[in-house]
Amino acid sequence: MTLPRSEGGPTVGRTDAEHVSRSVELDAAPAEVWDALTEEALLAEWLADEVEIDAEPGGEIVCRYADGEERRGEVELVEEAERLAWSWRREGGGSSRVELVLDAVAERTRLTVIETAPLRATGPMLLAGTWGAPLTRLRDAVRLVFA
Amino acid sequence: MPQPLPHPSGPGDAEAGAVFAALAEPTRRHLVAVLGANGSATATGLAAELPISRQAVAKHLAMLGRAGLVSQTRRGRESLFELDPRPLADAAAWLTTVGAEWDTRLADLQRHFKT
Repeated sequence: MTLPRSEGGPTVGRTDAEHVSRSVELDAAPAEVWDALTEEALLAEWLADEVEIDAEPGGEIVCRYADGEERRGEVELVEEAERLAWSWRREGGGSSRVELVLDAVAERTRLTVIETAPLRATGPMLLAGTWGAPLTRLRDAVRLVFA
Repeated sequence: MPQPLPHPSGPGDAEAGAVFAALAEPTRRHLVAVLGANGSATATGLAAELPISRQAVAKHLAMLGRAGLVSQTRRGRESLFELDPRPLADAAAWLTTVGAEWDTRLADLQRHFKT
């Protein structure tokens, strides 16, 4: 994916279809940016007011906000200083997937974020809303059984 | 008797995903446009306006129905299909909200690295 270069604020990338994408350049090397994406104290400076994260595949992520909202999710992909992805669910809403990609640009880092809404309506019985929650529970149950 | 297809109770990410999936296909976007212009139509009527069979139209309508974009009313031997624009607004709201959230977060992150 090619994204426009960003000198100032976030660059609006593809906001077509089911993606929201943004890209920013940060005054730090990828290793330093990685810390800001995976250390709870640093995450609390930008992602949410309070963040818990177990930064490994299958680990839990919990984001708490000043207004009382809480989002929980699961870390899906961890490639140190390169890529981090998790799925999370906002209260009363469906889950979505967040992927953060780090690219070294000279001494700096370009960080690209892509948040994707789930495509549940791909199978004939996967009715959004009606079937989302039961399917999630089913999937969790299956994961427990086969873990 | 009206047969409303399952419709999500409010805006949410799962609904947005279903709407985007439903609209990813050009024929379904065309169907949405035709239904929007005509108010309501039967599968046979829609097939007459598109270069596809009535069966193919029915399949696409079912997909749009699952995303809550089309509702169906029985009229005699045929079903009358009608566009429900609410999920479109929900999907647009998802994009706007999520985009604004990341703008704020990434601005905070940029500030963190500015010394």
